[in-house]
Amino acid sequence: MSVTFTMMKTFLRILSRDRQALFFSLFFPLLFMFAFSFGSRANEESFTLGFTDLAGNELSDAFIKALKEVPEFSVETGNESDLREKVVDGEVKLLLILPPGFQDAGSPAELKVVVDKAQVRELGLIMPMLEQVLVQVERQLRGEKPLFSIAVEDVKARAQNYLSFLVPGLLAFTVMQIAIAGSGYNIVEYRRKGILKRLFVTPLRPSQFIGGLVLARGGFCLVQLSVLLLIAVFGLEITLAGPLLLIYVLIILGTAVFLGIGFAMGSLAKTQQSIMALGNLVTFPQMFLSGIFYPIDVLPELVQPIANALPLSFVARGLREVIVNGAGLVELVPQLLGLLVWLMVSLLFAVRLFKWKVVAA
Amino acid sequence: MPILQAKNLVKRYPLPDLSGKHFFAVNKVSLAISAGEIFGLLGPNGAGKTTTLEMLEGLTDIDEGEANICGFDVTKDPHKVKELIGVQLQANEYFDHVNLLELLSLFTQLYGRSHDAMSLLAKVNLEEKAKAKPARLSGGQKQRFSIACALVNEPKILFLDEPTTGLDPQAKHKLWQLVRELNAAGMTIVLTTHNMEEAEALCHRIAIMDHGHIIAEGEPLELIMRHAPEPPQARSHGTLEDVFLHLTGTALRE
Repeated sequence: MSVTFTMMKTFLRILSRDRQALFFSLFFPLLFMFAFSFGSRANEESFTLGFTDLAGNELSDAFIKALKEVPEFSVETGNESDLREKVVDGEVKLLLILPPGFQDAGSPAELKVVVDKAQVRELGLIMPMLEQVLVQVERQLRGEKPLFSIAVEDVKARAQNYLSFLVPGLLAFTVMQIAIAGSGYNIVEYRRKGILKRLFVTPLRPSQFIGGLVLARGGFCLVQLSVLLLIAVFGLEITLAGPLLLIYVLIILGTAVFLGIGFAMGSLAKTQQSIMALGNLVTFPQMFLSGIFYPIDVLPELVQPIANALPLSFVARGLREVIVNGAGLVELVPQLLGLLVWLMVSLLFAVRLFKWKVVAA
Repeated sequence: MPILQAKNLVKRYPLPDLSGKHFFAVNKVSLAISAGEIFGLLGPNGAGKTTTLEMLEGLTDIDEGEANICGFDVTKDPHKVKELIGVQLQANEYFDHVNLLELLSLFTQLYGRSHDAMSLLAKVNLEEKAKAKPARLSGGQKQRFSIACALVNEPKILFLDEPTTGLDPQAKHKLWQLVRELNAAGMTIVLTTHNMEEAEALCHRIAIMDHGHIIAEGEPLELIMRHAPEPPQARSHGTLEDVFLHLTGTALRE
């Protein structure tokens, strides 16, 4: 046990001094998180509408006033040619031109709308709101009472935006990256440099070596994931709906599974190049199939059962259940079982394949 | 009773052409090394020197034959053997980001011992490099550090695999001096080399290997008299280099 501990101390020393690896292990998940958080913030901003009032009467004033009261809109008035340019630049989402004959004159007045149709997604949001405002103004002017009104109440159970979907997935993805790089890549390097050989000419046993590396990597992974969690909670205002303990259980299990897979890979690959290729072979499909960036439901039905059974899927789904939906232990049973099966499989392969001896020349 | 005894060691690898035939890296090698000896294993590249050492060290499985060190069978009792030997390998790279002092104390702890790492560094003249990383050392310093690592368990036998290959004459002589000191303190030393000068200067006894066989064995002078008794020019007899070339031919090896 004390030798395992000695190995762990040495690996912790190596890990904490490898600043570059430390930086990159956190850099990419953080980059993703912040990129997507800015993306989703931008959506919450108001749309700027251009407004050219050629009528200049009471009715048009009332209309502008009503538009300005809609929180999603900010209104910019000006002449047509200036605002047209702004539409082209994308500064103004939509230009509304009130014709000179805009008045309550029995016949419907035609409003001209200038848009960039490439921005379909936003137009889909703006147009109904605009029509809503028109109806409101019309009712006001005609003194009509609306037949219905809708009161929206937000239960605030979950912040179901993309960021809160993404963060648990990124945490899971980081667990995989750190753990696989930490075992597989290192083993190949140590073997090629002759370090494994040198170590095993001492009474060190493989179990002590693996134990030390797993403990050090596992501990390190927990610290790194804690940093990410802290940043997600305090920097990006992600709320953790479920118990923190379960989040850590999932992280620890996931780390163990991927360390095992990494060890097995490290024993299969002979060179740094082949471990890179093997690593990509294992991590890339999981990155796209395990519901990290988009839900597994959007994948072709034929692929879904496979995608659902991937180890990263269990970690990502588990973390999402806890962080977003506040799942407890009972709801997590399928994910935990899935991870335990993977843990057994990966450890079996890790131990069976691990070799420090020189095989063939 | 010799401190190290090997009988008919065989190491074979399947040929890459899938013919089912084998390449014999080591073929029926027997050795008997007495306590207190400096024993040299000589031979061209690919002769099987390193493989023989690795089998004795428990790094490579022995396909046939048997070996024991201090009475412990290398195959049956590898752990006991590993506690008794010190090994310097040809590859002398270590973990990145860990300095000499930390590495030495790691190796010491792998044997469950405690040892003053600084005094070990002093023994190999590396005190001032205590906080340096191994990657920063010169070739000679690296070799001396490797020997320091091999000494942490106060071994009965020290194995040195080509300890002076690639070293300049100064570094080489420094290392020879270290080997002699260790031997004078009672340590048995087994080394491989293809430097004949080294074998002649250091070794009490040598064995010459080629194609996996031992083709000659004895004291340096004895071998010289047996295989190259005539002086080449003005000298009274040939050198070990003559013995070497006489026995293994002059063709270049890869």
